[in-house]
Amino acid sequence: MAAPRRSARPTPRGDDARRGVVVEGDRSDIATSTTRPRQRHLDALPYVLVAPVAIFIVGLALVPAAFTIIESFFKVDALHPPTRFTGFGNFVEIFHNHAVMNSVANTTFYVVVGVALSTILGIAMAVLLQHPFRGRGVVIAILILPWALPGVVEGILWSGIFDPNSGLINGLVATFHLGAGNGVLLGQNRLLTLALIEIVQVWQITPLSTVLIFASLQLIPGEIYEAAVVDGANQWRSFASITLPLARPGIAVAMVEAVIATVNIFDQPYVLNGAASTGSSVTMQTYFVSFQNLNFGQGYALSLLVALVTVVLSVVVLRFVYRKVEL
Amino acid sequence: MSARRHPLRSVALGLVILWSIVPIYWAAKTALQTESAARSRPVEYVPLHPTLDNFRTLLFGQGGVAVGIRHSMLNIVIECAAATTVTVTLAALAAYAFARFTFRGRNILFYAVLATLAFPPYTTLIPLYRIMSAFSLVNTYTGIVLVYVSGFLPLAVWVLHNYFASIPMSIEEAGRIDGASRMQVFWHLVLPLAVPGIISIALITFLFGWAQFLFPLVLSTDLSTQPLTVIIAALQGKHTVPSTLMSAAGLLAIAVPAVLALTFNRYIVNGLLAGSTK
Amino acid sequence: MKRKQARVTRQGAAGLAGLTAIALLAAGCSAGGGSATASGASTDVAGVTITVALPADSAPPAAALAAFTKESGIKVNWVISDWDSLQTKISAAATANTYFADVTNVDWSRVGQLGKLGWFQPLEEYLDVNALKADMPQLGSFTLDGHLIGVPYDSSYMVTTVNTDLFAKAGITTMPTTMDEYTNDLEQIKAKGVVEYPLNIPFLAAEGLSTYWYETTNAFGGAVLDASGKPLFTDPSSPGYKAAQWMVDALTGGLVPPGNINVNDGQGEQTLMAQGMVASTLSDYSGLINSLYNVTDSSNVAGKIEYLPTPGVNGPAGNLSNPDGMGIPTQAKNPAAAAKFIEWFNSASTQEDFAGLNGQDKVWGSSFIPSRVSVVEKLAQAGSLADGEHLAAMLQTASPVFPEGAPAWYPTFSNAVYTNLHAAATGSMSVADAISAIAAVANQQASNG
Repeated sequence: MAAPRRSARPTPRGDDARRGVVVEGDRSDIATSTTRPRQRHLDALPYVLVAPVAIFIVGLALVPAAFTIIESFFKVDALHPPTRFTGFGNFVEIFHNHAVMNSVANTTFYVVVGVALSTILGIAMAVLLQHPFRGRGVVIAILILPWALPGVVEGILWSGIFDPNSGLINGLVATFHLGAGNGVLLGQNRLLTLALIEIVQVWQITPLSTVLIFASLQLIPGEIYEAAVVDGANQWRSFASITLPLARPGIAVAMVEAVIATVNIFDQPYVLNGAASTGSSVTMQTYFVSFQNLNFGQGYALSLLVALVTVVLSVVVLRFVYRKVEL
Repeated sequence: MSARRHPLRSVALGLVILWSIVPIYWAAKTALQTESAARSRPVEYVPLHPTLDNFRTLLFGQGGVAVGIRHSMLNIVIECAAATTVTVTLAALAAYAFARFTFRGRNILFYAVLATLAFPPYTTLIPLYRIMSAFSLVNTYTGIVLVYVSGFLPLAVWVLHNYFASIPMSIEEAGRIDGASRMQVFWHLVLPLAVPGIISIALITFLFGWAQFLFPLVLSTDLSTQPLTVIIAALQGKHTVPSTLMSAAGLLAIAVPAVLALTFNRYIVNGLLAGSTK
Repeated sequence: MKRKQARVTRQGAAGLAGLTAIALLAAGCSAGGGSATASGASTDVAGVTITVALPADSAPPAAALAAFTKESGIKVNWVISDWDSLQTKISAAATANTYFADVTNVDWSRVGQLGKLGWFQPLEEYLDVNALKADMPQLGSFTLDGHLIGVPYDSSYMVTTVNTDLFAKAGITTMPTTMDEYTNDLEQIKAKGVVEYPLNIPFLAAEGLSTYWYETTNAFGGAVLDASGKPLFTDPSSPGYKAAQWMVDALTGGLVPPGNINVNDGQGEQTLMAQGMVASTLSDYSGLINSLYNVTDSSNVAGKIEYLPTPGVNGPAGNLSNPDGMGIPTQAKNPAAAAKFIEWFNSASTQEDFAGLNGQDKVWGSSFIPSRVSVVEKLAQAGSLADGEHLAAMLQTASPVFPEGAPAWYPTFSNAVYTNLHAAATGSMSVADAISAIAAVANQQASNG
């Protein structure tokens, strides 16, 4: 028996009432309707369509992930073999490791600031690019550059910008006579260090947010805006009532990607401030625990915790930000 | 649809451009200097004695650098293009199935695909290395592309799923009523409407591939497959870093993505759904 | 899901070496790549191709490699790598028990760890160790439990560099030979206003800070660990403690630029020393005069930098060596051919060629200092090595940082050193607390064995 078909024109709700647009509050449903054939035999087509993806993901992503989960319950220490089961031992050690707990505080800062900043900037840039204008292609190309620049070069670049002796920032300070021009930017003041490190990461990841949200915006038909103008709405109102709600799927995806990037931050603090506890991140500690201490079991346990936190944060983001949009 | 000409808009656009381009300018300036000039005080905001030596070394130099740059540039383009094509194709098919079909295991599979995003990237590095090694795929394009695809699929599936789900059902229903098969509906009706999403995720996937370093470092053993990112990193010395040379290499590296972004813009057409009543 | 991983500096990718080692397959894979069976290990050498991955910015001259191929029948596939990335590849390949090269880098600091994990093949079955030992004083650093796991090819050691011009401007006519004189001279340079901050110490929490402390400890007349790995620096009158105190006092006392808490060794050399902004680096790296300070494109102080015998307690102290070696990974496909390559690469005639004694067209790289004493002496006599006599003398007398070899837990120890010394430098902990923290790690690791 075919599932009841959703009507093609559901009742619009409240302030979001615009022609033919529905913003669904129920996000537990993925597909809004089915196109099931009337026959009762097994429909092979969807399985054929998802099979390649399923094979890739199961074989090359889920299986390795499963091993991480399993290994985290074993004591795997290259310098103290053999490998043996240890239950929650690795996790207990993690919570007693001061360096790790300190890095959790830092990483929390990175996540909160990084997701907030990159999302706000991403929305702003996507909206600026939403409608075609002369030179939009060039602007898009420019916005992409922070992402396109190879990571190793970015590290050198920003080290050079922050360099206490010959960097751009200190140079500007000296040129405008705001100071001696050899001020310490990174490493001394913890808040400043964390902020600068995260700014560098935001600079690198915002293009991804921008393109994701931009793609979402492309689905919005122009007539909606025209209708709003006819109704007397100004630009801010259009933005708040049309653009933002309809971009929610894209914004949610962008935020989840930002969560993943910030939770896993490694290069920026490592390159800009070395191994110092001032800005050390959880991923850095995972590396130290695994490679330097050769305590791989503890490393897996940390990776698992990181994955769990990522899932929780992503679910929170999806719960509050994601909305099913059908146009 | 009218383009908005709010005065603040130009200011905002200018700020956004500045935000992106000032550090790039700094890299470009550094690329045109000698190492000594780049580190001198007072800081040179514009190179006082610009030189093309760094670019010359990268493009025509001896000792394997220029050969390395050329080969690795070719490698990275091939690897990214292949990974993007495969990823977007497979993701589009699967995303359509997730968006429009109900079938046993749909939800579990969909969430499983998304859940793989949560695991830190390096957790799959060694297992994938072993798998590729077992199939003799280390240092091959195939091996690298397979690994890339497995990593880029989740986001592609998710974004395209959202896209397909947002397209009004009425269009597909009309096509079915007209007697088209489901795949014909997909190919002729849905895909054209989803073009902005598809090329967006294609651009995103390509850029993810372009930024890869750790995986190709491990999966490539020599110049036959090493991408540009690995070769640029190889320019570092043990104690000293040729920041000017590497800045020049960085500039060479952004040329292809910049061109792609320009092309991307050309294919984005706004107001697609305005024609949805056909 | 792959993300971009930016990396810079030797700290950057040494870090990622560990990341790769994190993810191990459960199936019978103890985290050490314990299996020593090289897949398809072969003893025939003619006609094989070996892959050589050494950290160098250029390959040796094609003619040299061609000559090797002609003589031995072995073709060489030279892969350009940087030191950081290579450490990652070594760890990844060993952990995954996979082949990536026949010859690769063995760093002095990882000998203990690599040896214990069995990641490199013992070389004594292929090479005449005694013959090598006579001409290569640094060979001992690569021996673990009687096994030779690497051959030093680039004899790097920690040296003191001074800007003679700046010293002269401050009115210093005789160079210091003791740490007291050295410190006084630096203060004099500052007092006379020659430069504002005369001393370079890289206080970024990275490996360069650790080696600086080892060299300074050596200057104060001692070592950091004893033979069993226990700390020797816990007493305030011990050389290690005094060294740490001296380093931090130099920063707080205004001898070191305040920004140096964010400067690593390379930055200190390239941005401060090579720009004439500091007058001296107590623990610099040998060979840099040739490859950095005298290169006009890279430095403003060409001709002004000299090596100074490191000041000590009552006279010049010795120098600590941190050589780069090459070895054969356990998974190498052609270990016999690889050994032939190592033998050829480190022969006296090849080293002479690479160092430029037989013409510029045979030179390899710009910072290469041969590991054979005989060759360095020849270079010194020929005058082609900047400050060659000093270097030759230092190669003879340079001692390893850890006479018994770097412990297997060296990376953990070094991490404790540089993070705590950095914290002491920023003022977030006292020198005493930093020393205790480092000692605690050393004690714990040493007793865990």
